[in-house]
Amino acid sequence: MSTPLPAGGPPPDPIATAPPGPPGPPAGAAPAILARGLHRSFGTVRAVAGVDLAVRRGSVTALVGPNGSGKTTLLLILAGLLAPDHGSVLVAGADPASSALARSRIGWMPDSFGTWDSLTAVEVLTTMAGAYRLGREEGSARAWDLLRAVHLDDLATAPAHTLSRGQKQRLGMARALINSPDVLLLDEPASGLDPRSRIEMRALLRGLAAGGTTVLISSHVLAELDEMVDDAVFLTRGRTISAEQLGTGAGTRRWRLRSLDPAALQRWAAQAGVPLVADTDTPDVEGSVLVDVADDAAAAALLAAAVGAGVPVVSLAPVSGLLEQAYLTLDTDRR
Amino acid sequence: MTTFTVPLEPNHPPVPEPTAPGARAISWQGVRTIAVLELRQRIRSTRWRVALGVWFGLVGLISLLIGGAFAALGGDPTWAFGLVLMFVLGLGLVVAPTLASTAINGDRNAGTLAILQVTLLSPADIAVGKLLAGWAAALAFLTVSLPFLLWSALLGGTTAGGFVLSLVVLALLLGVVCAIGLGFSALTARTAGSSVLTYVAVASLTVISLILFVLTFPAVTTTEQVQVHGIVEESIADGGEYRCETFTDQREVTHTEQTWWLLAINPFVILADTGAQPGLDPDRSGPFEAIRAATNQMRSGPPDVFEECWLSSYAEPRVDDAAPVWPWGLGANLLLGAAGLAVAIRRLRVPYRTLPGGTRVA
Repeated sequence: MSTPLPAGGPPPDPIATAPPGPPGPPAGAAPAILARGLHRSFGTVRAVAGVDLAVRRGSVTALVGPNGSGKTTLLLILAGLLAPDHGSVLVAGADPASSALARSRIGWMPDSFGTWDSLTAVEVLTTMAGAYRLGREEGSARAWDLLRAVHLDDLATAPAHTLSRGQKQRLGMARALINSPDVLLLDEPASGLDPRSRIEMRALLRGLAAGGTTVLISSHVLAELDEMVDDAVFLTRGRTISAEQLGTGAGTRRWRLRSLDPAALQRWAAQAGVPLVADTDTPDVEGSVLVDVADDAAAAALLAAAVGAGVPVVSLAPVSGLLEQAYLTLDTDRR
Repeated sequence: MTTFTVPLEPNHPPVPEPTAPGARAISWQGVRTIAVLELRQRIRSTRWRVALGVWFGLVGLISLLIGGAFAALGGDPTWAFGLVLMFVLGLGLVVAPTLASTAINGDRNAGTLAILQVTLLSPADIAVGKLLAGWAAALAFLTVSLPFLLWSALLGGTTAGGFVLSLVVLALLLGVVCAIGLGFSALTARTAGSSVLTYVAVASLTVISLILFVLTFPAVTTTEQVQVHGIVEESIADGGEYRCETFTDQREVTHTEQTWWLLAINPFVILADTGAQPGLDPDRSGPFEAIRAATNQMRSGPPDVFEECWLSSYAEPRVDDAAPVWPWGLGANLLLGAAGLAVAIRRLRVPYRTLPGGTRVA
């Protein structure tokens, strides 16, 4: 049962008694999360003001937006904790506000949460299992499986208040998974995690998605999201402004070009008519400049041309991830 | 890339088909989950044992002093049980508000409430579980004082039935205070606020109601034509024998039958009424009988005929103490507790439409 599997492969099914279904969702299946025209105000603050959202089943979708853009409020509505002023929500095929079915299929990890300090990690999870109406043995088995999955099994009997912030974050993740949710709502799950734990979380989420679980994840660690999300939803001022599948090479991006010979690089760029931008982020590095490139093909052509002209190019790479770039364009709307 | 096991099946056959968690739906498993969670947290704090130890010492000291005082003075030890029970009630009313008055807003502030609200637990599961945990803690204090209550009861002053009834009613009253505290903890954002409000509620029941009862005397006092059984004046003028007759005269009448309920809701009055032995002379027995007699007198209000014939044939006015007061008072207190519980259940319902001021969901 503890046979290690490469992350991303189909997950083993240690608890299920029924034969597992097909690994992926059928094409054209109804979205796992569907929101239409969501509005929610707190007094005069319009936290969510027009969210339309459709999250593909079995995908990992990023929820990106500046501070105060309504990400947490949206996740609260999706988790069934907050009623929208207007609009409709369907999560896992049911209304989370009224349906026990939806509740049993949603896992939710809030951005800031407490732990029952005097309980041990395994007791925290068995308590949650009880709250989801799992039987005693079943809940215990599930708790231990999850502790192993988030690498907390050696701390299972330690009081929760002795856990570090990152360990608590992993325990919170295990807690959100206790009911084997179809839809996992994660609010800033990577905050406080060390790099290794982040990589493990990424593998965990990819494994879940491969097994058909839908993951909606909000985070500011955009570089992390870039490597694990399939889709992204952008929120600003409580509105979804675009929801797109992240392709590669779409849209003009800024790349960083480094050369061993800055003078040669400048000469070639002037001749070839390539506009260079001074790299103010890394002034210490000799010969590093920025260049705007339309797509990956253009980047390849640029590199070939520079090398062909005898410029000693060391590297050419995007300055930021797709998500980060999209986020930064939203940044002007920060409030 | 790290490798590990992913025991996370999305098609979750083990989760049984859930039933809709309506606001008032309640399940034993849900209540037990919350109660065990709360009690576990309480028991693991060492302050808990210290508190029980201090309580034991305090009740023991007072009991010994009461018993010793009566023995030394050669007095009637039948007062002992009444005094010890009243002391335990008073101490209980001080401690009980702390047991549940931060149960909901404290969890909300600590960020441990919402994660339970998204589960299949119903609001009633959470509220009742927390109430049971708080009540169980209160009962632990009561249990610790049991040896001294038993000892003082053995000195006399109550019957076996009165002893058991008093303990049951005392336990219920402490539960009521917990329920009121739970209601306030659901209403206010800050834990200090709900604690203060709970203490104010307890003070209202015990002290403020008594003050109100006295202060409303002028409001319920009128000058009326009443029947008086007294000495007829002409019999004195005629030099004849003093005679008592019933005649009509003006008297100040205080209609305490309109305000007696202010006494009846008092936990001390309720407890005295359950512990009192019926038919005992209130002047020559314990505190219970005295309180009971006074309450009954206030309840019946002014007599039909004012007895003013202080002659040899004067008869002590008889107060009917056959009808107990405590069911009324206990009933009113239980209603207050039920209201507190209902408020808590209502405020725990998700999804929130409006948020209480100063709180956030999670």
